[in-house]
Amino acid sequence: MPKYAMVINQRRCVACMACVVACKKENEVPPGQFRTRVIENTEGTFPLLRMELRSELCNHCDNPPCVYNCPTGASYKADNGMVLLKHNRCVGCKSCVAACPYDARYINEEKGYADKCTFCDHRVKEGKEPACVATCLGKSRVFGDLEDPKSPVSVALRENHAEVLLKSAGTKPRVYYVKKFSKPE
Amino acid sequence: MEITVTGANAITSPHLHVWDWRVSLYLFLGGLSAGLAIMTSILHVRKGGNLAKGDRAAVSAALWTPVILSVGMLFIFLDLERKLNVFWFYLTVQPLSPMSWGSWGLLVFYPVCILFALAAFPAEKRKKLAFRQLIELSEMLSRYKLHLAAANFGMGIFIGIYTGVLLSSFVARPLWNSAILPVLFLTSAMSAGAAFMIMIASQKKVKLFFTKVDIWLVLAEMVLLPLFFYGQYTSSGANRESIMPFFTFNHEYFWYGLAMLLLLVVLPIALVMKFLEVNEDHGEELSHEALMKMNLSALLVLAGGLIIRFSFVYAGQLSHLS
Repeated sequence: MPKYAMVINQRRCVACMACVVACKKENEVPPGQFRTRVIENTEGTFPLLRMELRSELCNHCDNPPCVYNCPTGASYKADNGMVLLKHNRCVGCKSCVAACPYDARYINEEKGYADKCTFCDHRVKEGKEPACVATCLGKSRVFGDLEDPKSPVSVALRENHAEVLLKSAGTKPRVYYVKKFSKPE
Repeated sequence: MEITVTGANAITSPHLHVWDWRVSLYLFLGGLSAGLAIMTSILHVRKGGNLAKGDRAAVSAALWTPVILSVGMLFIFLDLERKLNVFWFYLTVQPLSPMSWGSWGLLVFYPVCILFALAAFPAEKRKKLAFRQLIELSEMLSRYKLHLAAANFGMGIFIGIYTGVLLSSFVARPLWNSAILPVLFLTSAMSAGAAFMIMIASQKKVKLFFTKVDIWLVLAEMVLLPLFFYGQYTSSGANRESIMPFFTFNHEYFWYGLAMLLLLVVLPIALVMKFLEVNEDHGEELSHEALMKMNLSALLVLAGGLIIRFSFVYAGQLSHLS
């Protein structure tokens, strides 16, 4: 069984927002709502500035608080590692939205159910990459199977020092970041 | 530091808006009904049941419990985005989800508090139940009054704790993620239950008994609140930041600062009033003035519970791990 994960190489991101647009188009995300976002974080005092560009999305955690807090079993961890939703079971109680440390979930304004990034599981089943990965101009986003040593994610993780967001939360995320400014621990 | 986020707003940054006044009211009313269930059980057991004899609350307190719970559940129902899917709560058990075991707990609490209300119905007033079957059921259940009082008491404790665990289980919200929160909410629920009992009781002995009970509960609340804030302040940076809305007296956090000031005023005033009430020589009957003061101090306790629920629900959603 594959263990899907994503690596985001922040050195290659140019904040073109193509991933944000591709995701909305592919998943018919309602206007004003997003499954992924790009954060531009400028630090320092002019002219000594530096900018971090960070794509954020559902981290498909191995220890997912959204799944544990879901009262109806609508949120679940699939065998391939993706955190997914059975929309027909969702009551829209917002427990998962409150439980996510990454603020990756939202209530779909048109449908009423909780929604989030699915790693485009419908595309992955067809052997394609997630829409954001396929459209990424700078090849900043890399997707693949952690169990396969030749997969792009395995290679990227082997060749770079990668970190996860909010490691101390203990959620064991499956989205890794190759940071522009970080130093290996 | 300047942060620009493309693809985010109040919807994709849900710490800005997840749960609103409906959840706050649900937690308050759920807690109040739990507290009232506990106090009703005490009323009917205390002094071998003699405390309840002849008092209006002997009938009404047990009936108020499911009514208040129903109003509270109406508010949580209004908060659900897909109301027709509500049956899914009862087609599964999710052991790690407090909302799941809370929904099952409420399903048990309802019949327990209704059966206890029937069991505790005074024999001389049973004919008011109108239906023969209800009267017979009340007679039959009265033999198990003690057992039902224990079950009602236990379920009250469970629901009171649950209203706090519902929030404290979120690692993502540092303000809520504290083991003290369920204890604080339970204490506040019991205190609100005692205050409500004071307001609906008709006899001096019952009112004064629950005033004494409430003094200890308000005191416990006044110990738990600083302990909660102290625990958060001495914890991680995110926990420390999470309580700042309550202590940063600027326009951005106006309501949280006001909530803190109100709690600092409301609870001590209620405590002093109650202390004076139990030490006053009331004579045979409570005077109109004494009744007014008792109702006012009870209202202050209820207001304190409401302020705690509202301010904690909203402030918790401002808190982040990052």
